[in-house]
Amino acid sequence: MTLHAPRHQFQDYDDFLEQAYAKGWTDGMPVVPPTPDKVQRFLDYLGMPPGELLGHVPTREVTVTAEHVAVNAVMAGCRAEYMPVVVAAVRGFLEEKSHIHSTSGSLMGPAHLLIVNGPIRTELEINCKLGVFGPGFRANATIGRAVRLVIRNVMRGIPGFLDRATYSTPSRYSYCIGENEEDSPWKPLHVERGFLPQDSTVTVFAVSETTIAGDDASRTPEGILDSLVMYTRRGGVTGDKWLGDNVNVIMVMGMEHMRYFAEAGWSKQQMRDYMYPKLKEPIRPGEMPIRLGKPEGILIVAAGGHGMADTHILHPHLAWAITKPVEPRRR
Amino acid sequence: MRDAIELEWAGIPTVALIHKAMSGSANSMKRLSGVPDYPYAVLDYPHVPLAKWDPVEVREIARKLAPQIIERLTKPAGG
Repeated sequence: MTLHAPRHQFQDYDDFLEQAYAKGWTDGMPVVPPTPDKVQRFLDYLGMPPGELLGHVPTREVTVTAEHVAVNAVMAGCRAEYMPVVVAAVRGFLEEKSHIHSTSGSLMGPAHLLIVNGPIRTELEINCKLGVFGPGFRANATIGRAVRLVIRNVMRGIPGFLDRATYSTPSRYSYCIGENEEDSPWKPLHVERGFLPQDSTVTVFAVSETTIAGDDASRTPEGILDSLVMYTRRGGVTGDKWLGDNVNVIMVMGMEHMRYFAEAGWSKQQMRDYMYPKLKEPIRPGEMPIRLGKPEGILIVAAGGHGMADTHILHPHLAWAITKPVEPRRR
Repeated sequence: MRDAIELEWAGIPTVALIHKAMSGSANSMKRLSGVPDYPYAVLDYPHVPLAKWDPVEVREIARKLAPQIIERLTKPAGG
């Protein structure tokens, strides 16, 4: 299984790093040298040949292979064990309705979120609790970064080239979380989307903006959901004819809000059924359109720590949330 | 931009209308598609790239773009 990437020679690490910056291979942060033996080790972990096709971006005349992903995962600082998650996420973003040409080129500069479910979360120590969106956790940081480096270095999503984000966002360095299945009273996201609890999956989603829906006054499920409806209507849920009825909004709920639903025995479906008709009421001044086509478009994810009585509402860019299985290693 | 290029490949004379603010990505798509010299019509400021244009501004934009569109559609290929 011969690697296909062009080979370069460097005097030492400093020389490599300066050249990596000069050639535009990085997101602005230092990268790990993708030496052939390390890239091969990452592929061997998967059991994938270097040329295995993961998908393509027709408008950019780009094909993405396992070797592309391995090179960028090494550069991002991943461990080989993270590769199955990175590959699943890349496959997800290459699905047609992930609309990667738009989400990585848009003026709005949406961020590329990964939500990991299933046993692989704990095996890889993917954080799903306190500080879930922030720095300090290698798996979250480097898996999300690897996907972004693939978007940059393989899919040509380079700022000023095809990435035309007017402001962009720090979430584009890395944006990977797990669902807190252990503390959640609900079915995990992947089970709601047709997988088994013992399956591991990655759900990918392009986030145009986040609304932090703070409500420390409500003490009932209905009160909290009314707040979520109000905040969601302000930010809106975009969509179009091509995306149809399957557009999504994601609500990431932490411990303080979640406990009211646990105590009252509310399921995610009950929450959706309560919110959906209120979200679909006619638009009022100061609100944005809600293009959701059905209650199931609202995805509720348990994550975050104790403390703030907030739920993070992740508004979509023009794409679906796509869930892909993390495939077992091929021996 | 890519849509216009693909329509041309399909034999359908096409003009892409691009705001000046988007010319960078339009040029990148031309390069990636192997047609770096493919022309397009340009809309410039004071018309902003993403906006709800009122009917008066729409007519003004049309007057500015129409000559470019006619030229692109009637100019001989390679001319």
